[in-house]
Amino acid sequence: MTNRIKELRTKLNITQEELANSAGVRRETIVFLEQGKYNPSLNLAQAVAKALKTTIDDLFRF
Amino acid sequence: MLINSNKTMTIKQYQAIKLGFVVILAVVFSQSIIFENFLIPIALLIVSSLILLLLRKRVKGVLADERDYLTGGKAALLAIQIYSWIAVMAMFILYAFRDVNPAYEPIGLTLAYSTCVLMLFYAVIFRYYNKVKLGDKKLLFSVFVLALFLALIVFSLRLFSGEDNWICQDGQWIEHGHPDFPAPDKECQ
Repeated sequence: MTNRIKELRTKLNITQEELANSAGVRRETIVFLEQGKYNPSLNLAQAVAKALKTTIDDLFRF
Repeated sequence: MLINSNKTMTIKQYQAIKLGFVVILAVVFSQSIIFENFLIPIALLIVSSLILLLLRKRVKGVLADERDYLTGGKAALLAIQIYSWIAVMAMFILYAFRDVNPAYEPIGLTLAYSTCVLMLFYAVIFRYYNKVKLGDKKLLFSVFVLALFLALIVFSLRLFSGEDNWICQDGQWIEHGHPDFPAPDKECQ
């Protein structure tokens, strides 16, 4: 599974810390997500997608 | 005071305070073993746990998220498995050498029972999370902490009360209560 978290975050010009606060997780979790080392729960995927103003479908590629 | 103020704390501040408590507790516990006084460290452990619980509410930011819980669960399971294997092997070795030193037998049995209790706790908590809907984590946590504190208090009162021991009196070991272990080998002076 790949994702576009880093790409969309950079486009929106927000930091990992800001995205983490919006999604309700620690910054390290965002780092792991961006590196593709952690598969998020559906709730977290939705929270990240919402913070990046997109959908889960658009954010994650299976 | 830190607890009375309404100011929020950062995660780093909270972790620094937590580390401070751990260091203080380690020093107090080591001193308590030397001076054979276990009430002060247990009281300090309870007080520091309560203070940390109160301070945690003031922390701004996320202390732990789903990835931490997932990693914690895996680490806990591995730790339980490693501890169980070590405890069981140590129990067999100690039990085999019980003739060398009679104290090895109760130590081995304690290890065996502690492993059983650990497994039992794990099985009960696993079943709870697996079957019961996760609606009231706080209640489960409170019950567990309360049970742990009660067990600690009972254990400390029973073990360190000075009852059921051998006392050196006039050059002889005298039974005090009903100790279930033989008199010490060393000379009574």
